[in-house]
Amino acid sequence: MTSEKPGERRTAEGRARKADTAKTKVPPALLLASWSVPGLGHWILGKRTRAIVFGVVIVSAFITGVLLNGELGTPKPENPFSWLAAFACLGNGVLYLGRLLWLNGLGGLLSGIPFALQGGGNPAAAGFAYGNTFLYTAGLMNLLTVLDVSDISRGEKD
Amino acid sequence: MDHLALLLWHALLVSVFFAFLWRSTAVGRRNLFLKTFLIMVVGGTMLGWLMYPFP
Repeated sequence: MTSEKPGERRTAEGRARKADTAKTKVPPALLLASWSVPGLGHWILGKRTRAIVFGVVIVSAFITGVLLNGELGTPKPENPFSWLAAFACLGNGVLYLGRLLWLNGLGGLLSGIPFALQGGGNPAAAGFAYGNTFLYTAGLMNLLTVLDVSDISRGEKD
Repeated sequence: MDHLALLLWHALLVSVFFAFLWRSTAVGRRNLFLKTFLIMVVGGTMLGWLMYPFP
């Protein structure tokens, strides 16, 4: 007979469950799908409402950023902060790549990686800073959805 | 360009996003949405007023 108290058992179960979920691997294709199209990861996992809401919110934020003449972050060697902006914007997945393709053309996109890409935007426009904020926010929100998909896939979240 | 409209639009998008990301029930989502939306709108407006005297 064990002399384990209920609280101790719960803690042990929690530790075991945590160890199990830590061992569970998330399919890379699921994470890639989640990153590339906003909401697709949740849609694949059957979280349809969340998928639609995330898709609409992220695409709306991205379009607002573009309409406000915001500039997509692209890495520039002389500006270390541009790497952070590029990381945030890269979170937009195909929206980011599609916009870069639109601005640079296929040849420019392929030859311009990594430091000669044009991010568009107009620094003289009244909405430039606002547009940048919307573009960064959209990308970071999409990256959070990737983490959420990972948690759901491993059973850590409903 | 209406700065207040952009503030409201940004706050709306972010609040809806986090309400659906962090809460799974309708009541929880509504409460979190209202809380984050109001904090962003009121906080942003107050910060704007506080910055008003500075050049």
